[in-house]
Amino acid sequence: MKKAIRIEPEDNVAVVAQDTAAGETLECAGERLTAKDAVPLGHKIALSRIPRGERIVKYAVTIGLASCDIAPGAHVHSQNVEDITNRLCNEYERAFRAIKG
Amino acid sequence: MTGIMAYRRPDGRIGIRNYVLVISMVSCSNTVTERIARATGTIPIVHEQGCCEFEHDHARTRLALISAGRNPNVGAVLLVGLGCEQTNIDSVRAAVAETGKPVEAILIQREGGSPEAERKGIGIVRRLKGVCESQERVPCRVADLVVGVQCGGSDWTTALSANPVIGAMTDLVVSNGGSVLMSEVAGFPGSEHIVASRAVTHDVGLRVLDMISELRAEYIETYGQKIEEVNPTPGNKAGGITTLVEKSMGNIKKMGTSPVQGVLKLGQTMPHPGLWVIDNRAQGPDPFNLTGLAMQGAVVTAFSSGRGSPVGNAVMPTLKLTGNPETFRKLGSITDFNAGVVIEGATIPQTGAALYDLLLEIAGGKETKSEINGNFEYIVPREAARKKHEGCPLS
Repeated sequence: MKKAIRIEPEDNVAVVAQDTAAGETLECAGERLTAKDAVPLGHKIALSRIPRGERIVKYAVTIGLASCDIAPGAHVHSQNVEDITNRLCNEYERAFRAIKG
Repeated sequence: MTGIMAYRRPDGRIGIRNYVLVISMVSCSNTVTERIARATGTIPIVHEQGCCEFEHDHARTRLALISAGRNPNVGAVLLVGLGCEQTNIDSVRAAVAETGKPVEAILIQREGGSPEAERKGIGIVRRLKGVCESQERVPCRVADLVVGVQCGGSDWTTALSANPVIGAMTDLVVSNGGSVLMSEVAGFPGSEHIVASRAVTHDVGLRVLDMISELRAEYIETYGQKIEEVNPTPGNKAGGITTLVEKSMGNIKKMGTSPVQGVLKLGQTMPHPGLWVIDNRAQGPDPFNLTGLAMQGAVVTAFSSGRGSPVGNAVMPTLKLTGNPETFRKLGSITDFNAGVVIEGATIPQTGAALYDLLLEIAGGKETKSEINGNFEYIVPREAARKKHEGCPLS
Protein backbone atom coordinates (compact mmCIF):
# COMPACT_ATOMS: atom_id res chain seq x y z
CA MET A 1 0.00 0.00 0.00
CA LYS A 2 1.14 3.56 -0.65
CA LYS A 3 2.53 5.42 2.36
CA ALA A 4 2.73 8.74 4.10
CA ILE A 5 5.26 9.38 6.87
CA ARG A 6 4.37 11.31 10.00
CA ILE A 7 7.62 12.57 11.50
CA GLU A 8 6.48 13.31 15.09
CA PRO A 9 3.37 12.02 16.86
CA GLU A 10 2.05 15.58 17.39
CA ASP A 11 2.24 16.47 13.68
CA ASN A 12 -1.05 17.13 11.87
CA VAL A 13 0.52 16.62 8.45
CA ALA A 14 2.54 13.74 6.97
CA VAL A 15 4.81 13.49 3.93
CA VAL A 16 3.78 11.19 1.11
CA ALA A 17 6.45 8.70 0.06
CA GLN A 18 5.31 8.46 -3.57
CA ASP A 19 3.17 10.36 -6.06
CA THR A 20 -0.41 9.90 -4.90
CA ALA A 21 -3.64 10.35 -6.86
CA ALA A 22 -6.91 11.66 -5.38
CA GLY A 23 -8.94 8.82 -3.93
CA GLU A 24 -5.97 6.54 -3.24
CA THR A 25 -5.64 4.99 0.21
CA LEU A 26 -2.41 5.50 2.17
CA GLU A 27 -0.99 3.87 5.26
CA CYS A 28 0.31 6.37 7.82
CA ALA A 29 1.46 5.69 11.39
CA GLY A 30 -0.56 2.45 11.48
CA GLU A 31 -3.74 4.06 10.18
CA ARG A 32 -5.43 4.44 6.84
CA LEU A 33 -5.96 7.73 5.11
CA THR A 34 -7.64 8.55 1.81
CA ALA A 35 -6.04 11.25 -0.33
CA LYS A 36 -8.60 13.93 -1.13
CA ASP A 37 -6.31 15.61 -3.69
CA ALA A 38 -3.39 14.50 -5.81
CA VAL A 39 -0.28 14.83 -3.62
CA PRO A 40 3.16 14.69 -5.28
CA LEU A 41 6.10 12.78 -3.78
CA GLY A 42 7.59 14.63 -0.80
CA HIS A 43 4.57 16.92 -0.35
CA LYS A 44 2.37 17.15 2.74
CA ILE A 45 -1.04 15.61 3.36
CA ALA A 46 -3.43 16.63 6.16
CA LEU A 47 -3.92 13.89 8.78
CA SER A 48 -6.98 15.50 10.34
CA ARG A 49 -9.29 18.43 9.73
CA ILE A 50 -7.33 21.66 10.22
CA PRO A 51 -9.64 24.68 10.63
CA ARG A 52 -8.71 28.06 9.13
CA GLY A 53 -6.25 29.87 11.40
CA GLU A 54 -5.03 26.65 13.07
CA ARG A 55 -1.36 25.74 13.19
CA ILE A 56 0.21 23.39 10.65
CA VAL A 57 2.50 21.18 12.76
CA LYS A 58 5.43 19.27 11.25
CA TYR A 59 8.59 18.19 13.10
CA ALA A 60 6.50 18.95 16.23
CA VAL A 61 6.77 22.70 15.50
CA THR A 62 4.46 25.23 13.87
CA ILE A 63 5.49 25.69 10.25
CA GLY A 64 2.56 27.92 9.22
CA LEU A 65 -1.17 28.57 9.62
CA ALA A 66 -4.09 27.11 7.70
CA SER A 67 -5.31 29.90 5.40
CA CYS A 68 -8.64 28.07 4.88
CA ASP A 69 -10.36 25.00 6.34
CA ILE A 70 -8.28 21.97 5.37
CA ALA A 71 -9.97 18.56 5.09
CA PRO A 72 -8.30 15.29 6.13
CA GLY A 73 -6.40 13.87 3.15
CA ALA A 74 -5.99 17.27 1.46
CA HIS A 75 -2.74 18.41 -0.13
CA VAL A 76 -1.19 20.94 2.27
CA HIS A 77 0.94 23.57 0.50
CA SER A 78 1.07 27.25 -0.49
CA GLN A 79 -2.59 27.27 -1.62
CA ASN A 80 -3.86 26.61 1.92
CA VAL A 81 -0.94 27.59 4.20
CA GLU A 82 0.09 31.04 5.35
CA ASP A 83 3.85 31.43 5.87
CA ILE A 84 4.24 33.11 9.27
CA THR A 85 7.99 32.57 9.61
CA ASN A 86 8.66 36.27 10.20
CA ARG A 87 5.99 36.56 12.87
CA LEU A 88 7.18 33.40 14.67
CA CYS A 89 10.81 34.51 14.68
CA ASN A 90 10.11 38.15 15.56
CA GLU A 91 7.60 37.41 18.31
CA TYR A 92 9.92 34.87 19.86
CA GLU A 93 12.90 37.18 19.60
CA ARG A 94 11.03 40.13 21.15
CA ALA A 95 9.79 38.01 24.04
CA PHE A 96 13.19 36.37 24.53
CA ARG A 97 15.06 39.67 24.60
CA ALA A 98 12.54 41.05 27.09
CA ILE A 99 13.49 38.34 29.60
CA LYS A 100 16.22 39.37 32.01
CA GLY A 101 19.11 36.86 31.77
CA MET B 1 28.58 1.47 24.10
CA THR B 2 30.68 4.21 25.71
CA GLY B 3 34.26 3.11 24.90
CA ILE B 4 36.34 3.39 21.74
CA MET B 5 39.95 2.64 20.85
CA ALA B 6 41.65 5.82 19.67
CA TYR B 7 44.88 7.82 19.75
CA ARG B 8 45.33 9.96 22.86
CA ARG B 9 47.22 13.14 21.92
CA PRO B 10 49.61 15.03 24.21
CA ASP B 11 47.08 17.92 24.39
CA GLY B 12 44.48 15.54 25.87
CA ARG B 13 42.23 15.33 22.81
CA ILE B 14 41.67 12.06 20.93
CA GLY B 15 42.22 11.23 17.28
CA ILE B 16 40.51 8.34 15.51
CA ARG B 17 43.14 8.27 12.74
CA ASN B 18 46.89 8.74 12.68
CA TYR B 19 47.32 10.58 9.41
CA VAL B 20 50.62 12.07 8.29
CA LEU B 21 49.84 15.36 6.59
CA VAL B 22 51.90 17.34 4.07
CA ILE B 23 50.73 20.96 4.03
CA SER B 24 51.61 23.52 1.38
CA MET B 25 52.16 27.07 2.67
CA VAL B 26 51.48 28.82 -0.65
CA SER B 27 50.29 27.92 -4.13
CA CYS B 28 53.96 28.00 -5.29
CA SER B 29 54.75 24.96 -3.14
CA ASN B 30 51.67 22.91 -4.13
CA THR B 31 53.41 20.69 -6.68
CA VAL B 32 56.27 19.68 -4.39
CA THR B 33 53.71 19.02 -1.62
CA GLU B 34 51.66 16.78 -3.90
CA ARG B 35 54.71 14.87 -5.14
CA ILE B 36 55.95 14.20 -1.60
CA ALA B 37 52.51 12.96 -0.54
CA ARG B 38 52.13 10.76 -3.63
CA ALA B 39 55.56 9.17 -3.15
CA THR B 40 54.85 8.39 0.51
CA GLY B 41 51.14 7.51 0.46
CA THR B 42 50.27 10.43 2.73
CA ILE B 43 47.67 13.20 2.49
CA PRO B 44 48.51 16.55 0.88
CA ILE B 45 46.79 19.86 1.59
CA VAL B 46 47.21 22.29 -1.28
CA HIS B 47 45.35 25.55 -1.91
CA GLU B 48 45.41 28.64 -4.06
CA GLN B 49 46.41 31.12 -1.35
CA GLY B 50 49.24 32.04 1.00
CA CYS B 51 50.56 35.22 -0.64
CA CYS B 52 49.42 38.76 -1.54
CA GLU B 53 46.30 38.34 0.59
CA PHE B 54 44.51 41.10 2.48
CA GLU B 55 44.72 40.72 6.25
CA HIS B 56 41.22 39.28 6.68
CA ASP B 57 41.76 36.61 4.02
CA HIS B 58 45.25 35.72 5.14
CA ALA B 59 44.11 35.30 8.75
CA ARG B 60 41.62 32.73 7.47
CA THR B 61 44.25 30.92 5.36
CA ARG B 62 46.62 30.72 8.34
CA LEU B 63 43.85 29.52 10.64
CA ALA B 64 42.83 26.82 8.15
CA LEU B 65 46.40 25.52 7.69
CA ILE B 66 47.21 25.59 11.41
CA SER B 67 43.90 23.94 12.31
CA ALA B 68 44.53 21.13 9.82
CA GLY B 69 47.85 20.38 11.49
CA ARG B 70 46.32 20.61 14.96
CA ASN B 71 43.39 18.27 14.25
CA PRO B 72 43.75 15.26 16.59
CA ASN B 73 43.46 12.82 13.64
CA VAL B 74 46.85 14.05 12.47
CA GLY B 75 49.84 12.28 14.02
CA ALA B 76 52.62 14.22 12.32
CA VAL B 77 53.02 17.09 9.86
CA LEU B 78 55.42 18.24 7.18
CA LEU B 79 55.04 21.88 6.10
CA VAL B 80 56.30 22.75 2.62
CA GLY B 81 56.86 26.38 1.62
CA LEU B 82 58.66 28.36 -1.06
CA GLY B 83 60.57 30.80 1.16
CA CYS B 84 59.32 34.29 0.30
CA GLU B 85 55.55 33.82 0.76
CA GLN B 86 53.22 35.72 3.07
CA THR B 87 52.50 32.61 5.18
CA ASN B 88 55.11 32.50 7.95
CA ILE B 89 56.14 28.85 8.06
CA ASP B 90 57.89 29.20 11.43
CA SER B 91 54.81 30.59 13.16
CA VAL B 92 52.57 27.94 11.57
CA ARG B 93 55.04 25.30 12.74
CA ALA B 94 55.05 26.69 16.28
CA ALA B 95 51.24 26.82 16.42
CA VAL B 96 50.92 23.18 15.30
CA ALA B 97 53.78 22.04 17.56
CA GLU B 98 51.89 23.40 20.61
CA THR B 99 49.76 20.25 20.40
CA GLY B 100 52.89 18.16 21.06
CA LYS B 101 52.99 16.30 17.74
CA PRO B 102 56.07 16.22 15.48
CA VAL B 103 56.10 19.03 12.88
CA GLU B 104 58.85 19.51 10.29
CA ALA B 105 59.24 22.31 7.75
CA ILE B 106 61.10 22.70 4.46
CA LEU B 107 61.42 25.61 2.03
CA ILE B 108 62.06 25.09 -1.68
CA GLN B 109 64.38 28.12 -1.95
CA ARG B 110 66.44 26.98 1.03
CA GLU B 111 66.72 23.36 -0.17
CA GLY B 112 68.08 24.45 -3.55
CA GLY B 113 65.07 23.68 -5.74
CA SER B 114 62.06 21.48 -6.19
CA PRO B 115 63.69 18.04 -6.73
CA GLU B 116 65.93 18.70 -3.74
CA ALA B 117 62.99 19.76 -1.56
CA GLU B 118 61.02 16.77 -2.75
CA ARG B 119 63.82 14.34 -1.92
CA LYS B 120 64.32 15.83 1.52
CA GLY B 121 60.59 15.93 2.15
CA ILE B 122 60.14 12.28 1.22
CA GLY B 123 62.88 11.34 3.69
CA ILE B 124 61.24 13.37 6.46
CA VAL B 125 57.77 11.93 5.81
CA ARG B 126 59.11 8.35 5.83
CA ARG B 127 60.57 9.05 9.26
CA LEU B 128 57.31 10.68 10.48
CA LYS B 129 55.33 7.66 9.24
CA GLY B 130 57.62 5.46 11.32
CA VAL B 131 56.85 7.59 14.39
CA CYS B 132 53.09 7.29 13.76
CA GLU B 133 53.25 3.54 13.13
CA SER B 134 54.83 3.04 16.54
CA GLN B 135 51.82 4.69 18.26
CA GLU B 136 48.92 2.54 19.39
CA ARG B 137 45.24 3.03 19.99
CA VAL B 138 44.30 3.13 23.64
CA PRO B 139 40.89 2.88 25.35
CA CYS B 140 39.11 6.23 25.15
CA ARG B 141 35.60 7.43 25.98
CA VAL B 142 32.78 8.65 23.76
CA ALA B 143 32.98 11.71 26.01
CA ASP B 144 36.28 12.55 24.25
CA LEU B 145 34.76 12.30 20.77
CA VAL B 146 34.04 15.42 18.67
CA VAL B 147 31.58 14.75 15.85
CA GLY B 148 30.44 17.10 13.08
CA VAL B 149 27.04 16.95 11.38
CA GLN B 150 26.24 18.23 7.90
CA CYS B 151 24.02 17.72 4.86
CA GLY B 152 24.41 18.49 1.17
CA GLY B 153 22.90 17.44 -2.14
CA SER B 154 19.53 17.19 -0.41
CA ASP B 155 16.33 15.68 -1.78
CA TRP B 156 12.85 15.03 -0.42
CA THR B 157 14.17 12.37 1.99
CA THR B 158 16.82 14.52 3.70
CA ALA B 159 14.47 16.25 6.14
CA LEU B 160 12.25 13.20 6.44
CA SER B 161 14.73 10.42 7.21
CA ALA B 162 18.46 11.22 7.02
CA ASN B 163 18.61 14.40 9.11
CA PRO B 164 16.25 13.17 11.87
CA VAL B 165 18.38 9.99 11.99
CA ILE B 166 21.51 12.15 12.39
CA GLY B 167 19.60 14.03 15.11
CA ALA B 168 18.97 10.77 16.98
CA MET B 169 22.70 9.97 16.67
CA THR B 170 23.55 13.48 17.94
CA ASP B 171 21.42 12.90 21.04
CA LEU B 172 23.20 9.58 21.68
CA VAL B 173 26.67 11.13 21.34
CA VAL B 174 25.69 13.99 23.66
CA SER B 175 23.94 11.76 26.23
CA ASN B 176 27.13 9.65 26.37
CA GLY B 177 29.11 12.79 27.22
CA GLY B 178 30.52 13.52 23.75
CA SER B 179 30.46 16.59 21.53
CA VAL B 180 28.61 17.44 18.34
CA LEU B 181 29.37 20.45 16.13
CA MET B 182 26.62 21.92 13.95
CA SER B 183 27.39 24.67 11.48
CA GLU B 184 25.50 25.59 8.26
CA VAL B 185 24.21 28.68 10.08
CA ALA B 186 23.15 30.23 6.78
CA GLY B 187 20.36 27.63 6.93
CA PHE B 188 19.21 28.75 10.42
CA PRO B 189 16.98 31.75 9.57
CA GLY B 190 13.39 30.59 10.03
CA SER B 191 14.15 28.27 12.93
CA GLU B 192 16.50 30.39 15.04
CA HIS B 193 13.71 30.64 17.61
CA ILE B 194 13.76 26.84 17.96
CA VAL B 195 17.57 26.74 18.31
CA ALA B 196 17.53 29.63 20.82
CA SER B 197 14.83 27.88 22.86
CA ARG B 198 17.21 24.93 23.34
CA ALA B 199 20.09 27.08 24.60
CA VAL B 200 21.47 26.14 28.02
CA THR B 201 21.33 29.74 29.23
CA HIS B 202 19.51 32.93 28.27
CA ASP B 203 22.84 34.41 27.25
CA VAL B 204 23.55 31.56 24.82
CA GLY B 205 20.05 31.99 23.36
CA LEU B 206 20.83 35.67 22.79
CA ARG B 207 24.09 34.73 21.03
CA VAL B 208 22.12 32.52 18.62
CA LEU B 209 19.56 35.27 17.95
CA ASP B 210 22.28 37.93 17.57
CA MET B 211 24.16 35.77 15.06
CA ILE B 212 21.05 35.27 12.92
CA SER B 213 20.03 38.96 13.20
CA GLU B 214 23.50 39.87 11.90
CA LEU B 215 23.17 37.34 9.10
CA ARG B 216 19.73 38.67 8.09
CA ALA B 217 21.12 42.24 8.11
CA GLU B 218 24.09 41.12 5.98
CA TYR B 219 21.71 39.74 3.34
CA ILE B 220 19.69 42.95 3.21
CA GLU B 221 22.86 45.06 3.02
CA THR B 222 24.47 42.90 0.34
CA TYR B 223 21.50 41.91 -1.81
CA GLY B 224 18.76 44.37 -0.83
CA GLN B 225 16.37 41.50 -0.14
CA LYS B 226 15.13 39.67 2.92
CA ILE B 227 15.92 35.99 3.13
CA GLU B 228 12.16 35.26 3.20
CA GLU B 229 11.78 36.94 -0.19
CA VAL B 230 13.94 34.30 -1.88
CA ASN B 231 13.20 31.33 0.38
CA PRO B 232 11.81 28.74 0.06
CA THR B 233 13.07 28.73 -3.54
CA PRO B 234 10.80 27.71 -6.45
CA GLY B 235 12.69 24.39 -6.48
CA ASN B 236 12.00 23.91 -2.74
CA LYS B 237 8.29 24.60 -3.32
CA ALA B 238 8.11 22.18 -6.23
CA GLY B 239 9.65 19.60 -3.87
CA GLY B 240 6.94 20.20 -1.24
CA ILE B 241 8.48 22.74 1.14
CA THR B 242 5.88 25.43 1.91
CA THR B 243 7.48 27.80 4.43
CA LEU B 244 10.92 28.93 5.61
CA VAL B 245 10.35 27.46 9.09
CA GLU B 246 9.75 24.12 7.42
CA LYS B 247 12.85 24.43 5.22
CA SER B 248 15.19 25.41 8.04
CA MET B 249 13.76 22.76 10.40
CA GLY B 250 15.04 20.15 7.94
CA ASN B 251 18.53 21.59 8.49
CA ILE B 252 18.46 21.83 12.29
CA LYS B 253 16.99 18.32 12.64
CA LYS B 254 20.63 17.17 12.66
CA MET B 255 20.98 18.75 16.10
CA GLY B 256 18.47 16.34 17.61
CA THR B 257 16.91 17.78 20.74
CA SER B 258 20.08 18.24 22.79
CA PRO B 259 20.73 21.50 24.64
CA VAL B 260 22.86 24.05 22.78
CA GLN B 261 25.98 24.88 24.82
CA GLY B 262 27.07 27.94 22.88
CA VAL B 263 28.15 29.57 19.65
CA LEU B 264 31.82 29.39 18.61
CA LYS B 265 33.62 31.36 15.92
CA LEU B 266 36.05 29.39 13.75
CA GLY B 267 39.26 28.97 15.73
CA GLN B 268 37.63 29.34 19.16
CA THR B 269 38.30 26.48 21.55
CA MET B 270 35.32 24.46 22.76
CA PRO B 271 35.24 25.02 26.55
CA HIS B 272 33.43 21.78 27.43
CA PRO B 273 31.65 18.89 25.66
CA GLY B 274 28.08 18.94 24.35
CA LEU B 275 26.26 20.28 21.30
CA TRP B 276 27.84 23.48 19.88
CA VAL B 277 26.92 25.81 17.04
CA ILE B 278 29.86 26.86 14.85
CA ASP B 279 29.41 30.32 13.36
CA ASN B 280 30.84 29.56 9.91
CA ARG B 281 28.94 31.69 7.40
CA ALA B 282 30.97 30.66 4.37
CA GLN B 283 28.57 30.15 1.48
CA GLY B 284 29.87 27.73 -1.06
CA PRO B 285 30.26 24.08 -1.94
CA ASP B 286 29.98 21.37 0.74
CA PRO B 287 33.74 21.19 1.53
CA PHE B 288 33.59 24.79 2.86
CA ASN B 289 31.47 23.72 5.79
CA LEU B 290 33.11 20.31 6.16
CA THR B 291 36.54 21.95 6.37
CA GLY B 292 35.15 24.37 8.97
CA LEU B 293 34.09 21.41 11.14
CA ALA B 294 37.56 19.83 10.76
CA MET B 295 39.12 23.19 11.70
CA GLN B 296 37.08 23.14 14.92
CA GLY B 297 38.56 19.77 15.87
CA ALA B 298 35.81 17.41 14.70
CA VAL B 299 37.42 13.99 14.14
CA VAL B 300 34.52 12.54 12.14
CA THR B 301 31.46 14.05 10.46
CA ALA B 302 28.13 12.42 9.67
CA PHE B 303 27.11 13.84 6.28
CA SER B 304 23.71 13.17 4.77
CA SER B 305 22.98 13.44 1.08
CA GLY B 306 19.71 12.50 -0.57
CA ARG B 307 21.25 12.60 -4.01
CA GLY B 308 24.64 11.14 -2.97
CA SER B 309 28.05 12.79 -2.60
CA PRO B 310 31.64 11.51 -2.69
CA VAL B 311 32.88 14.30 -0.39
CA GLY B 312 35.51 13.69 2.28
CA ASN B 313 38.10 15.69 4.21
CA ALA B 314 41.88 15.67 4.46
CA VAL B 315 41.94 15.33 8.25
CA MET B 316 38.55 13.80 9.07
CA PRO B 317 36.74 10.63 7.93
CA THR B 318 33.30 11.49 6.59
CA LEU B 319 30.51 9.04 7.35
CA LYS B 320 28.06 9.47 4.51
CA LEU B 321 24.46 8.46 4.73
CA THR B 322 21.49 8.90 2.50
CA GLY B 323 17.83 9.01 3.39
CA ASN B 324 16.89 7.76 -0.05
CA PRO B 325 16.92 3.95 -0.41
CA GLU B 326 17.21 4.29 -4.20
CA THR B 327 20.34 6.46 -3.86
CA PHE B 328 21.87 3.90 -1.49
CA ARG B 329 21.31 1.13 -4.03
CA LYS B 330 22.78 3.22 -6.86
CA LEU B 331 25.65 4.89 -4.98
CA GLY B 332 26.74 2.32 -2.44
CA SER B 333 30.40 2.84 -3.35
CA ILE B 334 30.31 6.39 -1.94
CA THR B 335 27.70 5.88 0.81
CA ASP B 336 28.33 4.26 4.20
CA PHE B 337 24.84 4.04 5.68
CA ASN B 338 21.28 3.68 4.45
CA ALA B 339 18.89 5.85 6.45
CA GLY B 340 16.35 5.18 3.70
CA VAL B 341 15.08 2.26 5.78
CA VAL B 342 13.00 4.94 7.54
CA ILE B 343 11.11 5.51 4.28
CA GLU B 344 10.54 1.76 4.15
CA GLY B 345 9.19 1.52 7.70
CA ALA B 346 12.07 1.56 10.23
CA THR B 347 11.82 4.04 13.09
CA ILE B 348 14.05 7.09 13.47
CA PRO B 349 15.30 6.14 16.99
CA GLN B 350 16.30 2.60 15.96
CA THR B 351 17.97 3.83 12.75
CA GLY B 352 19.75 6.60 14.69
CA ALA B 353 21.07 3.98 17.13
CA ALA B 354 22.42 1.93 14.19
CA LEU B 355 24.11 5.06 12.81
CA TYR B 356 25.65 5.72 16.22
CA ASP B 357 27.02 2.15 16.28
CA LEU B 358 28.59 2.67 12.85
CA LEU B 359 30.03 6.00 14.02
CA LEU B 360 31.79 4.24 16.91
CA GLU B 361 33.06 1.49 14.59
CA ILE B 362 34.53 4.18 12.32
CA ALA B 363 36.02 5.89 15.38
CA GLY B 364 37.64 2.55 16.21
CA GLY B 365 39.30 2.33 12.79
CA LYS B 366 36.76 1.08 10.23
CA GLU B 367 37.45 2.97 6.99
CA THR B 368 34.79 5.22 5.48
CA LYS B 369 34.01 5.24 1.77
CA SER B 370 35.50 8.73 1.62
CA GLU B 371 38.84 7.34 2.81
CA ILE B 372 38.69 4.22 0.61
CA ASN B 373 38.00 6.42 -2.42
CA GLY B 374 40.74 8.92 -1.53
CA ASN B 375 38.43 11.89 -0.95
CA PHE B 376 40.77 14.05 1.11
CA GLU B 377 39.49 17.52 0.26
CA TYR B 378 40.37 20.59 2.27
CA ILE B 379 38.99 23.91 1.09
CA VAL B 380 39.55 27.08 3.11
CA PRO B 381 36.06 28.36 4.01
CA ARG B 382 35.97 31.97 2.82
CA GLU B 383 33.52 34.30 4.50
CA ALA B 384 32.66 37.78 3.26
CA ALA B 385 34.95 40.37 4.87
CA ARG B 386 33.15 41.94 7.79
CA LYS B 387 33.57 45.61 8.54
CA LYS B 388 34.64 44.90 12.07
CA HIS B 389 37.72 42.71 11.94
CA GLU B 390 37.13 39.90 14.39
CA GLY B 391 40.71 38.67 14.60
CA CYS B 392 41.89 35.12 14.43
CA PRO B 393 41.96 33.33 17.78
CA LEU B 394 44.73 30.88 16.86
CA SER B 395 47.10 33.24 15.07
